[in-house]
Amino acid sequence: MNVSLKNVSFSYTESLDDAVIRNLNFEIKSGECVVLVGESGCGKTTISKLINGLIPLYQSGTMAGDVLLGDKNTADMTLAEISRHVGSVFQNPRSQFFNIDTDSEIAFGCENLGMNPEEIRERVNRVVKEFHIEHLAGRNIFHLSGGEKQKIACASVSATDPEIFVLDEPSANLDLKTVADLAEIIKFWKSRGKTVIIVEHRIHYLREIADRICYVKDGRIAHEWTPVELESKGPEYAASLGLRCVNLKQLGEIEDARLRGRDETSVIASTLSSVIASEAKQSLKESLVFKDLHFAYNRNFPVLDISELSLPRNQITAIIGHNGAGKSTLAQVLCGLRGTWRQKRKARKYGAYLIMQDVNHQLFTESVLDEILLGMNLQDENAALEILERLNLKEYANCHPMALSGGQKQRVAIGSGVSSGREIVVFDEPTSGLDYRQMLAVSATLQKLAAGGKTLLVITHDPEFILNCCSNIIRMEHGKITEQYPLQGNQEKLVETMLNV
Amino acid sequence: MKLDPRTKLFIAVVANTILFSAPLYISLTMAALPTVLLIAERKIRFVLLFALSYVVAAFLFYQLKGQNFGLFGTFVTAPMFFLYRCMPICVLLYYVISTTKVNEFMAGMSRMHMPNKITIPLAVMIRFFPTVFDEARDIGNAMHMRGIRLFCLRTMKNPLTILEYRLIPLLVSLTKIGDELSVAATTRGLSPETRRSCMVKIGFHVQDVVVFVYCLAVVACFVIASRAKQSVVDIISALFA
Amino acid sequence: MSNIRTTGKKSSNTLVRDLVNVGIFGALYVIISFLVAFIGYIPVFIVIVCGLVGLVASIPVFVFFAKIDRPLLCCTLFCFLFGMVMFLTGHDWTIIAMSVLGGLLAGIALHVSKKSFWGCTLANMAISIAPSSMILPLWTNTEQYLELAASMCDEEYVAYMTNLGQSYWPLVVEFGLGFIGCFIGSFIAKRVMKKHFERIGITK
Repeated sequence: MNVSLKNVSFSYTESLDDAVIRNLNFEIKSGECVVLVGESGCGKTTISKLINGLIPLYQSGTMAGDVLLGDKNTADMTLAEISRHVGSVFQNPRSQFFNIDTDSEIAFGCENLGMNPEEIRERVNRVVKEFHIEHLAGRNIFHLSGGEKQKIACASVSATDPEIFVLDEPSANLDLKTVADLAEIIKFWKSRGKTVIIVEHRIHYLREIADRICYVKDGRIAHEWTPVELESKGPEYAASLGLRCVNLKQLGEIEDARLRGRDETSVIASTLSSVIASEAKQSLKESLVFKDLHFAYNRNFPVLDISELSLPRNQITAIIGHNGAGKSTLAQVLCGLRGTWRQKRKARKYGAYLIMQDVNHQLFTESVLDEILLGMNLQDENAALEILERLNLKEYANCHPMALSGGQKQRVAIGSGVSSGREIVVFDEPTSGLDYRQMLAVSATLQKLAAGGKTLLVITHDPEFILNCCSNIIRMEHGKITEQYPLQGNQEKLVETMLNV
Repeated sequence: MKLDPRTKLFIAVVANTILFSAPLYISLTMAALPTVLLIAERKIRFVLLFALSYVVAAFLFYQLKGQNFGLFGTFVTAPMFFLYRCMPICVLLYYVISTTKVNEFMAGMSRMHMPNKITIPLAVMIRFFPTVFDEARDIGNAMHMRGIRLFCLRTMKNPLTILEYRLIPLLVSLTKIGDELSVAATTRGLSPETRRSCMVKIGFHVQDVVVFVYCLAVVACFVIASRAKQSVVDIISALFA
Repeated sequence: MSNIRTTGKKSSNTLVRDLVNVGIFGALYVIISFLVAFIGYIPVFIVIVCGLVGLVASIPVFVFFAKIDRPLLCCTLFCFLFGMVMFLTGHDWTIIAMSVLGGLLAGIALHVSKKSFWGCTLANMAISIAPSSMILPLWTNTEQYLELAASMCDEEYVAYMTNLGQSYWPLVVEFGLGFIGCFIGSFIAKRVMKKHFERIGITK
């Protein structure tokens, strides 16, 4: 089934003057795999909504032009009809479930179409086999990890057997191993002659699958490449357009050069913020040592089992390992959110501050300035403004924190951690779903913090980000630390292990 | 052993109408039903947990009931009563909720000609109870890290702020999840106008009939018992008159 | 440009969004009223509980009002769900009838006023009929309710309840406090909406 967008314009407001998409003409042939890339806010998600019918049937706004699925105009169909032809998977694995158990969730689409029970059961069994998710059958969805949930979402869409698949940033919250599984799933769909449209920041896993990579800018398709073409233009070209790396294997070599230059800049940064640097000098110890970090829901299955963890002071340490290796639990224990009351009391003393993956949970007040003041013991407005200055947030001091963009929200949360005077700041996947430029901005912020005397711990699945700003690596497996090494000189090893976890 | 969702609903309604006002032996006979069903589902740990807390609560309640501790007494006995009286209902609700899948529930409701407009929000509600607590816990964690507690100088000054800090992030994230969930559900063809089918076949079997008969028998006992009690009261009052 | 049109019109496609919102806010409302209702164990407070529920729940209720497109259907369903849950956790059937009544009134108020502030306030007050009806059996079905209370609490509490049940004034006070709670709550909610949700962009 061909998809064609004919002279489409769309705006989320009431007039077409501030349209996100302008006069777009776009054809996708049956059986093609198309990846839409571009910086945040360029309109690529809007294009995906046009294809799965959410625009014009669900999203309110103003539209001109037509979207045709085969020979039918989506405006004349209902979403229930469209769902027979187009299956959609979304970014957030937590919020796309209607059911509580996995089997019913896989069957959900078929049930909505009113198929008969025998056929549904047959389809569910077939999909479970095709996706190799036998171990997930019959489980409670609330107990699954993000990656497992995303596989169930793909399976659920696949069960209704649509001709077109639309995926909106499906890999944003996944580790590299699950991303590889996702790539297998997409390959499988392609081998069945399905049309697949993927909106994505991370493109490395689609290198061998995609037929076309379309670069969207200001609601238009500005460039089109095959993956080979894009790769041959070199990583610098991709970076200049704000794209993530196409081939992770190249990363190790390039970043080495960047890394050498970086030490000098961080020295400059630390002399600039001299006030904070002097604070850092008070502590002469080279690294912070934590002992006996244990946690278990059940005595037989320890989630976290670390007898000693040492973090180099004033540096950025990355924690890698796959989903469910105990990384998040480690962060929570360090911040005193989990564990025995003794652990919690200790945690309050050394005071680690967690920047959650969903920063919406940790913003409370009505303005950015209040947010910073809230955490301070002595409410000092000048100090708060200084913190905002350092985080490039000064002009937003009076804005509502939740009205800001994702990256800005994250910086507000960081600011609140800084203002509370904690020495250790822990980040839970700070770069999930970010484009190249935003990722660079986050790593710049982190480097500034480290130069300013904070010790940072970053849980991440993003090798590009680690190579950009971290200086130490900790690898975790089954709640234990399996390896700890400095990044310098180990770049290739890092990329290698991350690809193979 | 699987029961039809409609049978489960029937047990729940019967239990709620009689359990609160029935004498002890009848509420126990009623509570025996979900207990047996739970054991049949191999959820023995929960049964033991329920049974233990029931015995403890009943014991404490009868020990404390005689004494008059005033307000404090009510504070202690009321939760005990709550445990002791509500345990049968809790067991039952636990059984119904833990063994009914969302799609079975929706199919059962549509067999009873309940319109989709009612079943969809009900199903969402069931799915959302755990989500609300999850989100609230995360927000509580964040507040804890910030040092915002129920009893500290800042919150004492203005108690409404604590409500604000709790509710607003919760509402923001719930509306966000709600929007995403309804988008995901509509793109997968959920519509109030089409008729859904269900992967699991539902229908009445022998076990459903047994359960129905059992429930009706308990109700009959309850009615007879309350009549009998009434007549005893009548006779006694007649004697004294 | 040729066929410029507005999208996302009222249809079966957007109805699911409303239904999902009813489910979510219904769950939140039930949780809030359960938590607040625990205060009702202190005898003096039993009459105020509904006022408190109204006060606390006003903010989510206002957000709910802002999110829905079909007020009549959604408010009725919302209250019906509340009634259903209360019925299934051991209340009289009257709770369902009263809740649906409250929901209908709320829906009409919203529909007629096109979601103006005063319309929302009225609707919010109408919704408070639902939780206020929780202890209605004390008057409609006095004996059974007191028997229940007697098996549950110490004599003082029962005496207090009996006392309450003898005149209709506490009932009036209870409903009245529910309304007042919602009235005050509405003003707080209006401020909070301005201060937070409108700036975030969740509501218009």
